Amino acid sequence: MLPVGLAAQQVGNLDAPAVKPKSYVVYGAEQQTVAAGKRSVLELHFRVLDGYHVNSHTPKSELLIPTKIELQPSAGVKVEAVEYPSGISYSFSFDPTEKLDVYSGAFTVKLPVVAEVGTHTMDGTLRYQACDHAACYPPKSLPVQVIFTAK
Amino acid sequence: MKRSGLVFGVMVLGIALLLWAGWHNLRERRLAMQQAQENHVVLVPEKAGAATTADSQSPEAEAMQMRGKVAPGFTLATLDGKKVSLSDYKGRPVLVNFWATWCGPCKVEMPWFEEFRKQYSAQGLEILGLADDVDAGKDAIAKVAQKTGVTYPILLTDGKIQKAYGGPDGMDYLPMSFYVDKNGVIVEETAGLGSKDEIEAHIKKIVASGATPAAGGQ
Repeated sequence: MLPVGLAAQQVGNLDAPAVKPKSYVVYGAEQQTVAAGKRSVLELHFRVLDGYHVNSHTPKSELLIPTKIELQPSAGVKVEAVEYPSGISYSFSFDPTEKLDVYSGAFTVKLPVVAEVGTHTMDGTLRYQACDHAACYPPKSLPVQVIFTAK
Repeated sequence: MKRSGLVFGVMVLGIALLLWAGWHNLRERRLAMQQAQENHVVLVPEKAGAATTADSQSPEAEAMQMRGKVAPGFTLATLDGKKVSLSDYKGRPVLVNFWATWCGPCKVEMPWFEEFRKQYSAQGLEILGLADDVDAGKDAIAKVAQKTGVTYPILLTDGKIQKAYGGPDGMDYLPMSFYVDKNGVIVEETAGLGSKDEIEAHIKKIVASGATPAAGGQ
């Protein structure tokens, strides 16, 4: 689990690091427990690496690629509409007039579910497209596995 | 005598208290630092070790890989289906720019390229904009070209050209620009957005290059 301080933090360091990673978002998987048969909300914690940002789920242009989670159906689990956090306003220093809506640092996606009793596993991917202060990186898919128990 | 002894005792006690407070404060800070280090989360990238291994390269280092090499040739289609080859511009300075519709920095420099193309047209400069995200569709690509005021050829990449210029994984980031001189040699390669002045300085290099045009490998 990500530290509380990080989870609360929405603003990261937007200066690009010297070394280029292959993935710009990490997923903090954690076992969760919910009440069986009742609407419960699972929290999926992600973190954008320092120096990068990704478009939020609602970027301000149709040409930008939104961050989106896609989960495969799982027996005994009914998934409702995914709730994405609001992004933060960001603009490149070389083009301050164009405002982007991005995630940087930690962000949490909420997943409302109604599940039958038992342990459930849902596989999926987080689709995102990252940039740093001067360059953008091709869209990527981060594998996500949500494991939780309904009691 | 008794009074001075009492005062001395109080002073000793005060100094002892100050020393204890200092030591306690130092100890607390050390403990807090130790705890912070224990709580430090090491983020492991998707491909284990990819972000931290010595073979990882900075964009700056990666942007040096093609410099000095003959620009790989290509023939690609424009938005209206016309075939354009790099060899069509043999003996001329060419800026080969990879971009994508989702790339904000790319869209910032595209109007600059258009401006420089006009400015250096007498010297034969040509800009070729290679759209890296063909899957976005011709309409989206055309929309960005129109919005940025670009009139230079926009070419649709074929997957091979990205590997020829960017390596086995293609273009890892955008924009990527390759400044090809009149002899067909890449004299400058840039990754990410630079300043307008930097771009013009690179253009000046290729415009001034090659006293013997048409000697090259395009």
